[in-house]
Amino acid sequence: MPNALIPPDVRARLRELRIVSRRSAGGDGLGQHASRSRGAGLEFAQYRAYEPGDEPRRIDWKLYARSDRYFVREAERDSPLDLWLLLDATASMRQADLARPDLAKFDAARSLAACVIDIALRQGDRFGIVAIAGSTPLAIPLGSGARHRDRCLLELARVQPAGAWPQGSAWQAAGARIASHALVLMLSDFFDKSAFEFVRRLAGAGREVLTLQMLAADERDFPFAGGRRFIDPESNAQRRVEASAVRADFLARFAAARAALANDCAALGIRHAEYVLDEALDAPLRRLFSALGARA
Amino acid sequence: MNPALLAPLGLAALAALALPLLIHLVRRLQLVDTEFAALRWISPRAQPRRRLRFERPWLLLIRLALLALLALLLARLVSLAPTADTNADWIVVAPGADLGAAHTRVGAGGEWHWLAPGFPRIDANAAPSPAPAASLLRELDARMPAGSALRVVVPETLGGLDGERAHLSHALDWIVVPGRSPSVPDAAREPVVLHVRYADDEANALAYLRAAVAAWNVREPNRYSLDAQPVPATAPDDARWLVWLAPDFPSSLTSWVERGGIALVTHRAEKDAAPLWQASDGSVIASEQSLGAGRVIALPNALAPSDLPLLLDAAFPNQLLAAFRGERPAPDRAFAAAAEPDRVAANVATTPALAGNNAVALDAWLAIAIAVLFALERIVATMRPREAEA
Repeated sequence: MPNALIPPDVRARLRELRIVSRRSAGGDGLGQHASRSRGAGLEFAQYRAYEPGDEPRRIDWKLYARSDRYFVREAERDSPLDLWLLLDATASMRQADLARPDLAKFDAARSLAACVIDIALRQGDRFGIVAIAGSTPLAIPLGSGARHRDRCLLELARVQPAGAWPQGSAWQAAGARIASHALVLMLSDFFDKSAFEFVRRLAGAGREVLTLQMLAADERDFPFAGGRRFIDPESNAQRRVEASAVRADFLARFAAARAALANDCAALGIRHAEYVLDEALDAPLRRLFSALGARA
Repeated sequence: MNPALLAPLGLAALAALALPLLIHLVRRLQLVDTEFAALRWISPRAQPRRRLRFERPWLLLIRLALLALLALLLARLVSLAPTADTNADWIVVAPGADLGAAHTRVGAGGEWHWLAPGFPRIDANAAPSPAPAASLLRELDARMPAGSALRVVVPETLGGLDGERAHLSHALDWIVVPGRSPSVPDAAREPVVLHVRYADDEANALAYLRAAVAAWNVREPNRYSLDAQPVPATAPDDARWLVWLAPDFPSSLTSWVERGGIALVTHRAEKDAAPLWQASDGSVIASEQSLGAGRVIALPNALAPSDLPLLLDAAFPNQLLAAFRGERPAPDRAFAAAAEPDRVAANVATTPALAGNNAVALDAWLAIAIAVLFALERIVATMRPREAEA
C-alpha cells in the first residue's frame, strides 16, 4: 500500500527530508526533536547534585575528580513530535487535469500524506489523520509505528472526496483535540474561505500550522478553449463562458487569490507552500520543510 | 469535350441550394461541461459565442450535389464535340471555282474543303450544290481556331451572298480564280402554257388574256402560249398556271393548287388574303393566298373592264406576269473581288460552334447520376446518426 502511494524515486528523495518543528516538542518519550524536558541527550542542560536513586553512570566522573563531589550531568531530552495531518476531502478536491483525468487533487493529497507519514515514521514521531468532509468520516488519533502507518493509509484509501466544507461548530471541537504543541499540516485547495478560517483559528490557538495548497495544472494554466459550462463540484453552480475570452481575467484573479492566501498565511506565521498536480511529490515538502530542517 | 448549357436560365434552380443549407444549419450553443472547482474566479461576463455549424455534413453535400445536378439538367447541359476538324491547314473552295487554277495559286499542300454545309473534303466529294456562301464563311470564321488565317478560294463570280458584306474576325486570304458559282437551275427558260377555263358568259375576258400573253411573248418570244377551254374541262396535272373564269372553283383544282399550281380565280373573295393589287382609293381589287405549295390569286368579281379597270391599263400584262411568277429572289451574285469580307478589328471572342449536330445531350447521364445520388441520399438520410447509437 505505501508503495502504491509513493513512487520509488520520490521515496528515495524523502530520506533527505526531515520534519522539524520550530518550537520545542513537548511530547513524552524519546524522539528526535528538541524539548524542554530534560533527560538523556546530547545538548547539555545543567549539572545538579547527585541524589540517591540516580544512575551511577550518569555521574560526571571527571567533575568528581576535580571537585570530589558527585554531580549528575543533565541534558535536554529529544522528544517525539505530534503531527496532525488534516486532509480536505470536500468535492472540490475531485478536481483533476484534462491531461490526467485519473489523478485528482485528493489522490495527490493522499500521496503527500503517505510521504509525510513515511518521514514521521522514520523520525519516530507520532501522527494522526483527520479528513474533513469526504465520503466516509476519518479521524485517526495520534500513534506511531508501522502498524499505525498502515492503518492510516488503509483508512485514507477508503475516503473519496465528497460534500462541502462542514458548517457549524463541529470543527471547533475537532480542533480542540489537537494539543497546543502539535504540528498541524493542512492539505487543502483553500478555495472555501472556511478552510482558511479553520487554519487561522488553529494558528491563533497556538498550534504550529503548515498549509499546503493543492492546485491543478488546469487552474494554473487554464488551457480551455471554446464554449464551456463550468460546474462547481461543491455547490453545482454553473458558469457558461467563452473560455478563451475569460482566460486572462481568470489567471489574473486566481493568481491574486493565491497571493492573498500566501500573504495571510505569512501574516499568521503559517508555513505555506503550493503544490501543482504535475509536480513531483517531494517538491512541496522540500519547500515546506527546508527552512525548518536547517536547525536539526 | 466542352460542356455547354443550352438553357442557362435553368441555373436559377441553383437557388434551391439554400434549402438544404438552411435545413442543416444548426445555430447551437456548443458547451462542454467541465467540472472546475476554481469557478468563483471565472468572470461571468464573457458569454459563450454561438457557432454556426452544419449538421451531418456528408448528407448535406449529397443533397447539394443532387440539387446542382437537377439544375444542370434544367439548364440542358450538353457536351460539345471538339471541333478539331477545323484547323489552320484548311483551304476552302467555293463551288464553281476552277480547282486547277486554285492549285496553281495556292499549291498542293493543306486540306482542301468545299465551302458547303459540313465543309466536306474535296477529294471525296463531287462539287456540292449551291449554298449560301456568306453564311458559310461566317460559320467557318466561328469554327476556326483563334489566330489562324482563313484561306478561301472563290470564283470570279460568287453566288450565295446576302445583303451584308461578311465581317470576319480572322485574317483572310481571299483568292479569286476564274469561274462562276453554279446558280439555281433556271426554270425561267421553259415554255409556259397559261391554261384558261371559262364559263360562257365570261368568254369576253379571253381577249384581254390573249393580249397579255402576246405582250409577254414580245419580250420572251414563243415562250408563252394560251390554252383556253370552256368550263367543264379542268387543268391537266402538269399545268403550272391556270386562269379560272367561272363562279365555282372545283375542289379537284384546289388539290392541284396545293401541289404547286398557281391559279387566278374570279368571283372569289378571300378574307384573310394578302392584297396583291389595289385601286387608287386603297380598295383591294386582287388578293393573293398561299395554298399548300401553290398560290391562288383571287379576284372578287369577273375579269371585265367594268369590274377591273386595270384590265385596260398598259401595265396589265406585266402585272399579271408578276402575279404569276411571284416574288423574285433577291440578287445574290457579285464579283468576288468586290465581295471580299472585311476583317473586324474588334476583339471578338470566338466561341466553339454551338452547332446542334455536334452537341451531345448529357440528359441520360445526368438522370443516372441523379438517381444514384438520390438513392445514396436516402441511404445516408435513413442511417441512424452516430450520436444516437452511442
